[in-house]
Amino acid sequence: MADRAADEPDPRVGVFVCDCGSNILGTVDVPAVAEYAKGLEGVVFVDEGRWICSADYLAQIKAFINEHELERVVVASCTPRTHEPLFKDAVKEAGLNPYLLEFVSIREQSSWVHRSRPGAATRKAMDLVAMGVAKARLLEPAQEIRLSVGRTCLVLGGGIAGMTAALGVARQGFEVHLVEREARLGGLLNRLHMLAPADIEAHKMVERQAAEVKAATNITVHTNTVTGSISGYIGNYSVQLKGGSSDELEVSTIIVATGMGELEPQGLFGFGSHPGVITQMQLEAMLADPKASKVDGKAVAIFNCVGSRNAERGCCNVGCLASIRNAITLKERDPAAPVFVFYRDLNVQGEEANYVRQALKGHDIRLVRYDPDTPPEVVMGDDGGLMVRARDLLLDVELQIPVDLAVLTTALVGDPSVEELKGQLKVSSDKDGYFQEAHIKLAPLDFAGDGLYVCGGARSPKGVRWAMEEAMGAAMRAVIPMRRGYIEAPGIICQIDHDLCSECGLCAKVCPYSAIEIVDPAAKRKVPNALEALCKGCGTCAAECPSDAIQIIHYSDRQIEAQIVSALALEPEQKILAFCCHWCAMGAVDLAGVSRAEYPPNARLIRVMCSGRVKNDWVQQALDLGAGGVLVAGCEFPTCHYINGNYKCQKRIERLTKKLAKKGYKTDRIWNVWMSAADGPKFVATMKDMVEKLGLDAEAYGIEDEDVDEDGDEAGDGGGG
Amino acid sequence: MTAGVLVIGGGIAGIEAALNLADLGEQVYLLDDTPSIGGLMARLDKTFPTNDCSICIEAPKMYEVQTHPNITLLTNSIVRKVKGKAGDFKVTVVEKAKFVDEDRCKGCAKCAEACPVSLPDELDGKLGGIRKLIGLPFPQAVPNTYVVSPLCRFGHMDHAGACVGRCIIDCSQCRECQIADCVVACRKEGAEAVLLWQKDKRHKLRIKSIIVATGVEPYEPPADHYGYATYDNVLTTMQFERLMNAGGPTEGDIIRLSDGKHPKRIGWVQCVGREVGLKDELPEVPQAELKADQGGHLPYCSKVCCMFSTKQTIIAKEHDPEVEAYVFHHNLKDYGKGFHDFVRRAQGHGVRYLKGKPSDVFQDPETKCLTVRYEDLDSGELHDLELDLLVLAAGLLPGQRNARLAKRLGLELNERGYFAERDPVFAPLESTVEGIYLCGGATGPIDISESVTQAIAASLRAAEWGGEADG
Repeated sequence: MADRAADEPDPRVGVFVCDCGSNILGTVDVPAVAEYAKGLEGVVFVDEGRWICSADYLAQIKAFINEHELERVVVASCTPRTHEPLFKDAVKEAGLNPYLLEFVSIREQSSWVHRSRPGAATRKAMDLVAMGVAKARLLEPAQEIRLSVGRTCLVLGGGIAGMTAALGVARQGFEVHLVEREARLGGLLNRLHMLAPADIEAHKMVERQAAEVKAATNITVHTNTVTGSISGYIGNYSVQLKGGSSDELEVSTIIVATGMGELEPQGLFGFGSHPGVITQMQLEAMLADPKASKVDGKAVAIFNCVGSRNAERGCCNVGCLASIRNAITLKERDPAAPVFVFYRDLNVQGEEANYVRQALKGHDIRLVRYDPDTPPEVVMGDDGGLMVRARDLLLDVELQIPVDLAVLTTALVGDPSVEELKGQLKVSSDKDGYFQEAHIKLAPLDFAGDGLYVCGGARSPKGVRWAMEEAMGAAMRAVIPMRRGYIEAPGIICQIDHDLCSECGLCAKVCPYSAIEIVDPAAKRKVPNALEALCKGCGTCAAECPSDAIQIIHYSDRQIEAQIVSALALEPEQKILAFCCHWCAMGAVDLAGVSRAEYPPNARLIRVMCSGRVKNDWVQQALDLGAGGVLVAGCEFPTCHYINGNYKCQKRIERLTKKLAKKGYKTDRIWNVWMSAADGPKFVATMKDMVEKLGLDAEAYGIEDEDVDEDGDEAGDGGGG
Repeated sequence: MTAGVLVIGGGIAGIEAALNLADLGEQVYLLDDTPSIGGLMARLDKTFPTNDCSICIEAPKMYEVQTHPNITLLTNSIVRKVKGKAGDFKVTVVEKAKFVDEDRCKGCAKCAEACPVSLPDELDGKLGGIRKLIGLPFPQAVPNTYVVSPLCRFGHMDHAGACVGRCIIDCSQCRECQIADCVVACRKEGAEAVLLWQKDKRHKLRIKSIIVATGVEPYEPPADHYGYATYDNVLTTMQFERLMNAGGPTEGDIIRLSDGKHPKRIGWVQCVGREVGLKDELPEVPQAELKADQGGHLPYCSKVCCMFSTKQTIIAKEHDPEVEAYVFHHNLKDYGKGFHDFVRRAQGHGVRYLKGKPSDVFQDPETKCLTVRYEDLDSGELHDLELDLLVLAAGLLPGQRNARLAKRLGLELNERGYFAERDPVFAPLESTVEGIYLCGGATGPIDISESVTQAIAASLRAAEWGGEADG
């Protein structure tokens, strides 16, 4: 259980308050805070240090823990972001479980931001320490949870990405099963002629990689095969193959490299109405066929962006380059044959743009820019041939060109297999029909859940080079847990109390990491099972649970409720109770601190890992206790360090506000604000706004300023401030 | 002791490579020649195409680097000498003095308050931000230590009141400085962290493989380009990014430098500095020789500018829906995942994409407004458009220090000044020396997502040396 049983003796709490030179002492009356801490329930030892993060003092903390038999430790100093690991280690070395430490920030949250109000700053520091002690008394030891991960990887898709990924994993010494639905390896490249900008024949690329795959002793290739079912999680996947192979595989990690599909351009540019209208892929096949010379000498018009760069889907990433490359091939085969490329933007980047310019040099290829609002028309001519009618935007002329072939560079779309596979893997796809990665910038090759990786055309349309880079990267991501032999979740994880659970299945549905599974999905009773090692500790499941059956270790209901009660013990009507997510909201708070921004001292901050953890009950509890305002602050959309916790939080707060309004609460006291870690000024503005709009008295704590001022001045002088 | 992997460059690519290798169990040395890791990404406000706040997603990675037991951070450091070969490199690193002790500095800012010399913050360029000779590189810097600028320490700022140049004794020989205001302030605080006499440190490392992740640098337009140097209200995209940033000099208030007013009409010019420009469109025109950067021009497309500008238009619109936003371009590069939707999102906000490149910009001497003359490529007509603010989407340059590093590592640069690959087709990211791999901006202009991808890919290759026995 996350919480202490009520009948256990109270743990012995030690509090260490830091001066941080003049950083804290210059504003906050630290001796007064220390003295105040001595009177708090459960506290048996308090010490004040000039720099408690110094090596000397850390050694002293260890000695104090032993000497005074401390069972819980509260450190009141700077921000846990930078210094918590240091104190965790010290506590651990003293023989205590590191999760029995509570970190209170009285520098970023008080001394640096209320410099002109030493009395109020001191009072706030006292409250923050009291809240820390209240929580610390209820802390429970926690362990990092390990889950063992074996040495076998499944790669889905035997195209260039899949082969490259398989080789990457195999070279690190792990077993690979490579599953390809077609009879041979190579994927889309088997249908292509020349690759640009490499100017190499596609089959050479395939042959080389395939030869290496076949030579690798630890890669098993299953051709003509697809997956029938996939179940389990990292380290424990069971995969049933079907088709050419019907093996049942036990694998630890899965790389998805299933490639991309081609849009059927029915009805676009005359496709389907005339045999002379073909796709770029069909042209590639014609060009690649050494026996056929069906295209030689023909007049060809190529149309780019067919079905792409519109409301449905984006740029195909390879069409411009492919069309130019093929136009050049046509010209090389017959310089006299007219070749036109109709395009919207030449969407080639970096070096590719130079390749195009160099390649076009000396080839009489007519580039025609067209307007997507009035695209060229391909119609049947009087002679049964094809006629192109178009307007050249650049030259501002109407063109009528008879051609033999109209080649459509059609959009690339998510492979049709995505729909079925995403069900098997329990992952999502994006609006263009490709797989959705965990984060487009910083986790481009991961799925949200551990053990699943994505690369190449399965993620978004792309050329060979980029696909190979992604494949090598995905291989690395898969190798990491396999080389370590385990994955490890920090101690902050969910725990389900099955006695309280109503078996509604909501927790499994909201978990962004698939860390809660339903034991028997077919059954009516949705019995949840937490896969602890997969849990990232966001707490969204606990906040959503209608039966209060889920607790988050280190952020349990009782611990947070104790903080709430403590924060609002005195003058609650003047206080803002602020729930701030660790990543962005507290990031903004810390930035305001580093920037020494002044704001009203009314807020008492409670750290949660994600705003998704904030329970509606807590907000209501704070209002019931008379809080002047309640702030729930999390990451600015679309960022969330737990995929979507802030979105869930926002919805809950909306529901709560409506519900409480009906009950007659003054819901203008509930503020839900989203901020980035760079939004120090926004946090400051929010504080000022709340104080002003809610009619709070920023001077409410001024009474004490007189009492504390002298000490504060002394401290200030002592610190040279 | 097993040999480690050296990652050169602490931007997002280097950070990702280091974290992936460290998670794999490798000993990693992450080296950066500036006082903090973070690189270019730490200077951005938002990232396309999601508009995630840049530092929000990067800073947690930076802290992870700092606390990772397998990573040794070497900031303010340069590679001095490399000997040996793949699997067994011997690398000499010089860690340049920061003149502040990292362990003793507690960030109290007393030294900066005492420092008499203010100078323009290079982060802010023409926005006019100010910093002291001693200070934090930026608020989220890792390590979070104050640093004395070499401009102070070596007497370059003597005329401005920096103390060091005034001292008759060579301060490297002296331990008793009572003159430097920063030293005195720090002593008074009791921290003894400012050590003007601190010396460079030398580290000899046993390294099995190396990743070069030195990144790109923003291109600075020539002074006469669109009035960049003479007109107040002409900025680069990097400067506009600082204007947008809540942590920037205006706390995220988008204003005109000339009068502090909120601009209502803003234009973004693409391909600033590109030598070839419109010739992209018309391949019949005789080609300019494509050679490395010689005349202050970029002979290539920098890949990111179109989306970078699109991001800024959306943010500008979100700050103030009344803003009219115009993007002058000639080939919109919306090639990546989610990019086209991002452009549509901007268009949904009312952003106008104009096909054409401005030929001239004139400033109204009274209002300081700018008249942009451009040819609409679709219609061929000349137009004048009056704007309050013009933003130049200047491209990306190879790292200035690439040549020196290449020499020390024995690597070749390509004709553009980026690191050359041995076999770009079959062996992406392999440099011209065995055991040395490339990623991110070291390979060419690149966005964050692809940098991260390359970094993870390069770390796979770097981990192949020494194999599993070490793990």
